[in-house]
Amino acid sequence: MVIKRKRSVMDLFDDYFDDLEKEFERRRERLLERPSWNQKASTMEPLRDMIVTPTEVVVTVDLPLTKEKTVQVKPLDEDTLEISAEMKRKMTFKEMGITHHKGEFQRLHCHSRIPVPVKMDKMKISLKKGILEVHLPRKRRS
Amino acid sequence: MSEINIIEKKQIPQGATMLFGFPDVGLVGVIAASHLMEELNLAEVAYMDSKLLPPLIVLHNGLPHSSIRIFGNHNILLAVSEMPLAADVIYPVIDALIDWGKAKKVKMMVSLSGIPIQDRQDAKELKVFAAASTPEMLKMVQDKGIEALLEGYLVGPQAIMLMRCAQIGLPAMTLLAQCFVNYPDPEAAAEVLKGLAKVTGIKVDIAKLLEKGEEIRLKARDVMKRTQEEMSKMKKTQEYDIPVYVS
Repeated sequence: MVIKRKRSVMDLFDDYFDDLEKEFERRRERLLERPSWNQKASTMEPLRDMIVTPTEVVVTVDLPLTKEKTVQVKPLDEDTLEISAEMKRKMTFKEMGITHHKGEFQRLHCHSRIPVPVKMDKMKISLKKGILEVHLPRKRRS
Repeated sequence: MSEINIIEKKQIPQGATMLFGFPDVGLVGVIAASHLMEELNLAEVAYMDSKLLPPLIVLHNGLPHSSIRIFGNHNILLAVSEMPLAADVIYPVIDALIDWGKAKKVKMMVSLSGIPIQDRQDAKELKVFAAASTPEMLKMVQDKGIEALLEGYLVGPQAIMLMRCAQIGLPAMTLLAQCFVNYPDPEAAAEVLKGLAKVTGIKVDIAKLLEKGEEIRLKARDVMKRTQEEMSKMKKTQEYDIPVYVS
């Protein structure tokens, strides 16, 4: 005979939140699971990072092998930045050791969503050692 | 049959120095290992076979290879992984490699890795730190001009390698170059190789590595992204934490 232990309401809550967390994780992974390149647009997606401090949001983007003067940072709306830069030279799949895809890349391109309200018009950018740094002051709550 | 097998493809030298280059912050170990393989013309001498590893193979010239392989010559064995290790397989994988190395009577184990710093892009010089498995090894490293990492936390394969070696009394050290946390860092890899040359005499020309730095950063984006995911799961940021010792 199997004896079933009665489950408390807290157990049920725990299970519910565990399931919810797993579902979020699955969705997050599905969103991340896409190539880091776009063959049609001839672009590669650069690596990026973000730090949110009490006063500002700092977005950094790794832009190797790009021409410094071609780096563009455009606010698309109040919480999205579009970042792109032209590469110093075209890079083919073959050069990266891939022979089952054909194509070449000319730009690095990505979008970065800012998670808190910021003043896009006060944006400051700098580029050091191929790392783009974008400083966005945070909006104060009114 | 054990959960992890190391299959030897060639005769393995005894008394070699065993190096580890696993995906971690700045991919320092992987980039340094890849450069060592190229410069020293190291051949694949063994590989890991285990159902604990993800269902992934690496194709080279159309032929399948394990993602964890050991390359070597007459006096170096270099264990490398092409993909980041998930937290739950780090212990068995590192244990298997250490047991295998011990059976081959390696004279020393050295893991090549990084230690992240804030505002890395502003750093003019990158320091290399070391932690060791025994007081004698630590002294030797310091005598060779490498600063010891005296207090703090280490998270990841190099941490477990050092602890296991300390437990069994095997001379080991981990060399950690200051680096970016989330971006591939060939400059840091070059620094860690300079540190390796100081402590082991294994010297390679790093000019090509620095020359190809930007290309490496571009090519290594995908492995870096996967590594970021695993580092986040194993709470790699604990390395920034200030330790509290209760004595």
